[in-house]
This record gives sequence, structure tokens and C-alpha cells, in this order.
Amino acid sequence: MTDLLTNWADWLPQLLKGLGISLQLTGFALALGLPLGLVLALASSARGPALRWPAIALVEIGRGAPALVVLQMVYYGLPSAGLNLSAFLSGAIALALTTAAYTSEILRAGINAVPQGEVEAGQALGMTRQDILRFVVIPQGVIFAVPALMGFAILIFQATALTFTIAIPELLARAYRIGAATYLYLDVLILAGLVYLAVTIPFGWLVNRAARRLGSHLG
Amino acid sequence: MTDPIVSLKGINIRYGTHHAVRDVSLDIAKGEVVAMVGPSGAGKSTLLRAINMLETPASGTLHVGDFTFALDRPLGQKDLLALRRSTGMVFQQFNLFPHMTVQRNISLPQMRVLGRSREEADRVTARLLERVHLADKAQAYPARLSGGQQQRIAIARALALDPQVMLFDEPTSALDPELGLEVLSVMRELAADGMTMIVVTHEIAFAAEVADRVIVMADGQIIEEGPPEQVIRNPSLPRTQKFFRAILERH
Repeated sequence: MTDLLTNWADWLPQLLKGLGISLQLTGFALALGLPLGLVLALASSARGPALRWPAIALVEIGRGAPALVVLQMVYYGLPSAGLNLSAFLSGAIALALTTAAYTSEILRAGINAVPQGEVEAGQALGMTRQDILRFVVIPQGVIFAVPALMGFAILIFQATALTFTIAIPELLARAYRIGAATYLYLDVLILAGLVYLAVTIPFGWLVNRAARRLGSHLG
Repeated sequence: MTDPIVSLKGINIRYGTHHAVRDVSLDIAKGEVVAMVGPSGAGKSTLLRAINMLETPASGTLHVGDFTFALDRPLGQKDLLALRRSTGMVFQQFNLFPHMTVQRNISLPQMRVLGRSREEADRVTARLLERVHLADKAQAYPARLSGGQQQRIAIARALALDPQVMLFDEPTSALDPELGLEVLSVMRELAADGMTMIVVTHEIAFAAEVADRVIVMADGQIIEEGPPEQVIRNPSLPRTQKFFRAILERH
């Protein structure tokens, strides 16, 4: 037991460095993916088929393809198209695409939950369609979507583990490296799992609080 | 009637095979208060919502203020916005923007639609909040207000754009009777100030007291109209008599 704890104490700084990279990847994926998700959400509810169908196709492909496949395609596919990206950037872009596809559906549900009467009020006031979207529909749709978006942020944080397949030195990759050097795979993977939990459990608790606060504010 | 401010000619509205409004024509003078009554499903709200084109008639001519539109082809976006800017509408469910304070609910449309500066818009908002007796609620969110207060805010929001005519779609139907009274009293003051108002309502007492003219609709048509004392107390058609008797018995 003391061996295990000593090992863990030795490994923890390495894993925490990996956690930093995992969190950075999560941050990039959300920062790039959420705005794109909003654009896809609006485009896939657009009236014009020229906007709607490509958006729906992107969303369905992005949600249908496993995140690992998207990741490999960006990492191995883009260089053959003449675009050379670092592993980190490839990982961030792939996770952002997955984020965009999933969050577009979450945001679309939020936007659809905005009561039609408020849209009509905006119309009756003579507001343009763009202004109604900007000031009435999108702010509320995003607020409605916040709990589900936070839940998704936990999933995409967990999905950063997939980037160990393209040699990004994130949390899981570092745990494997330690495992390969010591053959104590189980011990180090348990520690890695605990580090993931140390992030996801408090964050999950925040999600529940956010959902409750939202209910009391707009209800 | 000289120079009506609202004029509908030959308005038809269809939902698929349902003919909701049938060939209705109606002139309303500046400053006139018109109450539209009738059984539910008669087409009153649908007709009211055609005046600012929240419903799209299949045919007819619509005149509001300075605008006249033939409705057999779709209106351009510019015409549509201009038409809606000259009308104000109050809904049964208030439809305030719940994520904005009362002040922003009333000021934002002024800034976006009329291009007023924030200072100017907030000045107008403050004046209107006085007028609907809610000056102390500027920083409150709608969810913290009673239904009657929300509806008075909604009236202030519509008035802030200086409409030439106010459209009320069952403004008190979602309210407890006593909260309805505070809304009706604001509407009474508005009428006394000379605002042109078209009110779809089941409040017969209010119609009798405030309206210059009562219009009775049934099956998508105007079946009877005239001054309230005539239409409400002495309706000529059996159908109208039955309708008012049913309402009086309910109260």
C-alpha cells in the first residue's frame, strides 16, 4: 500500500502536466466548436435549403462518425491534402468538429424552446428577423442550453483521452508512458482515472446547480 | 367616414381548407375605439392579427396610416416592417422578453426599430412607466411581476414606438379579474387620450363603457356592428342576442 502511494506521489506531477494539456484541448474544442455549433444550429433551422441541407449533412456526419475516426481523419487526412498541422492542433480541430456537431443539436433544442409568442412580439414591434434572433431568440436559446452544454463539456473533456492515439502528451498518454516504463499499468491507470474524476465530479455538481438556478430564473 | 386610419377591404384568410376570415371589410377612424366580440373560433383574433400581418391574408387590401397594400402577392420585408412600426400590439400572454429588465424590454425596440439613443429611449421608457403606474419596476425582471403588471409593461412597450393604432388581442383573458381591472383602467386612459384602438375582448362591460363601436363576428364574418348601446343592449340578430345573453349569464 505504501508502495502504491509512493508511486502515485512520484507519478502525479507527470499526470497533472498531462491534465493541463487535456484541459487545454477541452478549452480549444469548446472555444472553436461552440460558435461553430451555434452557426450550424441556426443554419440547420434556416428557411433556405441552400443553407439548411449542408448544415444538416455536416451535423449528421459529425454526430454519426466516432470521435476517434474524425480525429484520425484530421490528423492523417489533412497532410495528404497539403495541410500540415501539429498533433495538438489536429486534436483540437477534430474535437472542435465533434463539439460543433453535437452542440448544434443542443443549441437548436434551446432555440426551439424559446416561446413563439416572444418572436411574434418582436415581429409586432417591427424588429427585423436578424434583431429578433440576436436579441430575443439566441440569448434565451443559449441560456436554455447551458446545463446540457456543460454536460457535453464533461464528455468532450473525457474524449480528449482519444488524442493519445495521435501522440499528444495528455493525461492518458502520460499514464501509458509510465505504465510502459514500470509495467504497473493498473496502478497508474487507476491514478489517471482518479484525476479525471477530480475534474468531472465537481464540474458535474456545478452543472446541476446551473440547471436549478436556470429553472428558478426563467420559470 | 372621412379618411380612415385603418381600412380593410375584402380580407380573406385561409388555413388549408378552413376559411377563417371571409371577405371582411372594415374602416376605422382616427381616435376610434372598436371592440371586436364573438364566440371563439369566429375569426376575431385572426382578423386583428392580419392588421399587422402576423397572419397573411390570401386576398384583400390593407390600409394602415400612410400605407396601403394589396395582399394578393407577398409583402416585401421593408413594407412589412414599416407596417408593423405603425401598429402596436398587446397579446393575451403578454410576451415580454423574460431575459431583459422591464426598462430594456421597452427601450431596446426603440433603439433597434426607431434608432433612438439609449438616453432618449430610457427617457421615453421612464415616461411610459409613469403612465402605466409602474415607475418603480424599471429594473425588475418580468418573472417577478404579476400578470397585470406584465400586461401594463407590454402596453408601454408597444406605445414606446408611437404607433398610430393599438391592437389588443384578448388583453385580459389570461388574468384574474382584479388584475384585469388594472389593465382595463390603463386602456381606458389610453382611449381617453385619443388613441385609436382595436380590442378583441370578452369584457362586455368594458366594451359597453369605452368602445365607440362594437363589432360582432361569427364564422369569419362581421354579423353585426354599431354603437355599444345598440349592439349590446338591442342586438338585431338572434345569433347576437344569444351570444350576449350567454355572456351576461356567465357574469
